[in-house]
Amino acid sequence: MHSKNMILKHPLSVRIFHYLLVISFVPLAVTGLILYFKPFSESTMNLTIRVHVIAGILLTFDALSFFMIGYKRVVLFLSRVFSISGNDFKWFAVLGGYPQKLLLHKKVPVPPMGKYNSGQKLFGVCVFIGGVILIFTGLALWAFPHNLPRGTVALLGHLHTIAAWALTLFLCVHIFLGIYMFDDFKAMFLHGKIPYEEAKEMAPLWVEKEIIPLPKN
Amino acid sequence: MSEQDYKYIENPLHITRREFITITGIITAFLALPSIWIRSVATANNDYIKARTKNLYQDDVQSKIRVSHANKSVARYYKEFGGKPLSRLSEELLHTKYINRTKALS
Repeated sequence: MHSKNMILKHPLSVRIFHYLLVISFVPLAVTGLILYFKPFSESTMNLTIRVHVIAGILLTFDALSFFMIGYKRVVLFLSRVFSISGNDFKWFAVLGGYPQKLLLHKKVPVPPMGKYNSGQKLFGVCVFIGGVILIFTGLALWAFPHNLPRGTVALLGHLHTIAAWALTLFLCVHIFLGIYMFDDFKAMFLHGKIPYEEAKEMAPLWVEKEIIPLPKN
Repeated sequence: MSEQDYKYIENPLHITRREFITITGIITAFLALPSIWIRSVATANNDYIKARTKNLYQDDVQSKIRVSHANKSVARYYKEFGGKPLSRLSEELLHTKYINRTKALS
């Protein structure tokens, strides 16, 4: 057991950002789907749009505050998710070995990864671009739709819907794999730490290049 | 498990200054360009609304008859044919009926 041999993977600021993201994005996704399919009466739909707006404001404040407080982490995140190498193509060729592991109970060789594997990088790119699109278009559609030409409002509406669908579908995969990688799940939701040995197996390049021993004060 | 129960952290200096500045520039452009576009679209739309409002006021200033009850043709219609405003005949000929088109529009 490596209880003492732990790496702080998700500091408190990241965990707080993630908690707020969960409690804002999940209601946004649910109310967004209700608004898209319109299954309820007019009064319920009005309530739904209010919840959607409040959750949207929370998400915007969460993103803005993390952007300002943890700007360096945002830059690090972007640097990681936008860096592409040959290993990413090899990773996608075997889909990280997950289908083989889940369906055939077979372990296939997977190229060494950094902090994020190639699938997480793709998710990160979608979260950043899609998140910015959702916040900008949502704000424009809610706050000043009458100040914009009808064609522009329609275009923003389409962009909002496409980005929301992409992120909601990605979220399902994210939740499934998040729970599947249970140590990482506990790290993100509880204490922020993962075992060194597991990190070395899952993200060898990250451990080799970016992990340092805790400086002694 | 307490916060101190770990031996390793991420190197906080992993990113170089050049990378930091490059990514900051890209983020700024990525956020600024749509904002500038939205602002220019909204300004152009407001300019159009202001121009239209100005022309409507100008039309009113230039018009000899500015209210419907001062229109001689309308007055003649009521006098010779429709009776008075909201009479049964006027309502039948001049008024429209409400049709709910919400479903057709959505």
